[in-house]
Amino acid sequence: MTDETLRSSSDDLRAPHWEPRNLIGEWSLRELLVSDDYRAIALKGVLTSLIMLAIGGLFALTFRAELTAPDLQFFGARPYMGLMTLHGMLMVFGFVIPIVISLCYYMLPKIMKTDRLHWAAAAHGSYWTLILAAGFLIVGRPDFTWTFYAPMSLRVGGNLVWLGYVAIILVGISEFLAGMVLLRNVFAWRGRWAAMPLMGWAMLAEATLLLLSTPLLSLVGLFLLTDWLGATALFDPARGGSTKTFLWMFWFYGHPAVYLPLVPAIALLYTLLPRFLGRPMWSYWSGVIAFALLVVLSFVVFHHHFQPDVTVHGWVQRTFQILTLFIFVPSTLHVFNWIATLWQGPIPESARSAVPFRFMIGSIFMLIIGGATGFLNAQISVNSDFIHNTYWIPAHFHAMFLGFCGQMAVAGIYYLYPYFTGRMYNQALANLHFWLWQIGIFGKVAMMYILGYAYFPRWVVDYLPLPEWSGPQLWLSVAAAFIGLGFLLFIANLAISARRGAIAPADPWAASQPAAVSDRPHPAPAE
Amino acid sequence: MQNALGLMADQNIMIGITLALTVAGVATLFMALFWPQRWRLKYRMEFGFIALLAVLIVYADANSARTYTTYEAELPAAGAFSGMVTEPDTAGAFDRSIRVYAFQWGFVFLDEKGEASRNAVSVQPGQKVLFTILTNDVIHGFNIPAARITTELDPGETREIWIRAPAAPGKYLIQCLNYCGLGHAQMKAWLVVGDGVENPPANAAHG
Repeated sequence: MTDETLRSSSDDLRAPHWEPRNLIGEWSLRELLVSDDYRAIALKGVLTSLIMLAIGGLFALTFRAELTAPDLQFFGARPYMGLMTLHGMLMVFGFVIPIVISLCYYMLPKIMKTDRLHWAAAAHGSYWTLILAAGFLIVGRPDFTWTFYAPMSLRVGGNLVWLGYVAIILVGISEFLAGMVLLRNVFAWRGRWAAMPLMGWAMLAEATLLLLSTPLLSLVGLFLLTDWLGATALFDPARGGSTKTFLWMFWFYGHPAVYLPLVPAIALLYTLLPRFLGRPMWSYWSGVIAFALLVVLSFVVFHHHFQPDVTVHGWVQRTFQILTLFIFVPSTLHVFNWIATLWQGPIPESARSAVPFRFMIGSIFMLIIGGATGFLNAQISVNSDFIHNTYWIPAHFHAMFLGFCGQMAVAGIYYLYPYFTGRMYNQALANLHFWLWQIGIFGKVAMMYILGYAYFPRWVVDYLPLPEWSGPQLWLSVAAAFIGLGFLLFIANLAISARRGAIAPADPWAASQPAAVSDRPHPAPAE
Repeated sequence: MQNALGLMADQNIMIGITLALTVAGVATLFMALFWPQRWRLKYRMEFGFIALLAVLIVYADANSARTYTTYEAELPAAGAFSGMVTEPDTAGAFDRSIRVYAFQWGFVFLDEKGEASRNAVSVQPGQKVLFTILTNDVIHGFNIPAARITTELDPGETREIWIRAPAAPGKYLIQCLNYCGLGHAQMKAWLVVGDGVENPPANAAHG
């Protein structure tokens, strides 16, 4: 690439755009990695997250092979737990949180009409810190699961386990930096606050979650490191520490953390739904209030991760139980809003055939499947029966993380595809990907729920040959293979269509029917 | 047999409500997508919907608190929800009282005479059994699927749970549910119900 073309394409990068073009073809790898352009930062984050998804997914398929049948077939507990830990870490910290935040790095300046990402340096810092953390994890191969409960996590083997603690510190720093970037860019809004698009409110919520919760994660990582070194003894009861210190500190990060991928995924839905339907959301303020409630509640429910807790007064526990049940309100307000928006007018043919729209519907479906069980999980009595740390819990959060957040990220990628390549994805391949994922994700979540109800324990490499366990485990592996196959088709589609796909029309997502007349004063958030 | 937490009654209602909510949500989504009739929902419907949720929340909280307090009222020591009830006076009346040490990786059971057995505990059908559980290394779990009870164990803390032993003689699974290190998958024990149970087939979940 000559200097002249480099300059001209860099100039173009600063120009506003919201039309399909072959942006990727205009960028060199160096530009993609160092450019402060929000589209480059977003694309870099999305592609890296997809690599994390590929690695994390490969690890899952590998240890799933072991779980397909009872007894040990391929490997023992140490490699199994290494794979399981890296699967959880890479999926949560490397895929599901960064991919939706990266998509919002693109959407936010576009929708707020600022057309630049303020504090891009912090976004770069966040990105490279996370890469460093992922590298540390892969080199260190800790086997203490992604919740690294102390003091178990202080007593695992390997000379490189300290790399895992450092990685935890780095993840906290990376997420904190992302929160700073989002907050700064929300305050770049120059219109009336009451007219700020829902994406803006969502990113304000996300920034609040990130900035207030992640310091605790870094502190937990730091104290694990100093405890392991022998300098402190905060988390180890054998040396005067307390597991309660760990649990309260970790879950004060950990509960807001599970909403870190949720809030941007909801924001994407609020952005894309009006775009495909050609009409605004049913209720703007319902969305704003739901975001606010979700943020407030997310900080006061974390105790449900280790309930019941005999050292805590009964009324305190009951308060956590009630607050946890109240999470139902903001989350169903969102779903209510989406369904009401779908129902209030015709659904254009253009939307029905659009793959991003299909993935959005799949996401809402899985959010209902995963979210409704929150009603059971919150109740201490039911939790103490078959829920606490059986497969019921992975069923719940795989429905949310993969079924909702992951599928919304995929919807966002298909949606942005023409804006980055100037071409359309292959419709047939994308439809196949859609159905493979719907069958795979639903099957996997359903099998996990069934196993949870049958008391299948989490985190085991080996299990008893009971028919109620081995049957669903086999089908769970089959479902996981569907998801893996769908992912391969997805990547192949993205790669092949970038050169061979049909040239995208001027507005790839124009609603094919005239929009229903609306009496709402608020603009559709997408544009 | 009696479920310690009464799953066959109250908790089944909760599972039913959850299923109903799931089906209603999915059905509404599909109607919004495929039913030809279009419908502009009134805003006050959302308030009605929240009111319905509020009723469910109050019901779930009250039910959970009542079930768990009733369960804990049987325990000799003050339990997790003890702040909500008067000091239990119905405590005691256990046929067996067994101390349990959970460790990396296994369980040791000490009976009333102080005799220890490793990874198996023997009781008679239908007996009401108190387990007083202690761990002092890492966080463990203690779960008896057949009795439908699970608990998380923090080092240095004593936890009590009680169960009603299954009426059918046999060998029932006891397992750790919290990841506690590489031996976690092997951290299990057997609740042996009845005499002369040599090596019958294992009943894990629903005894």
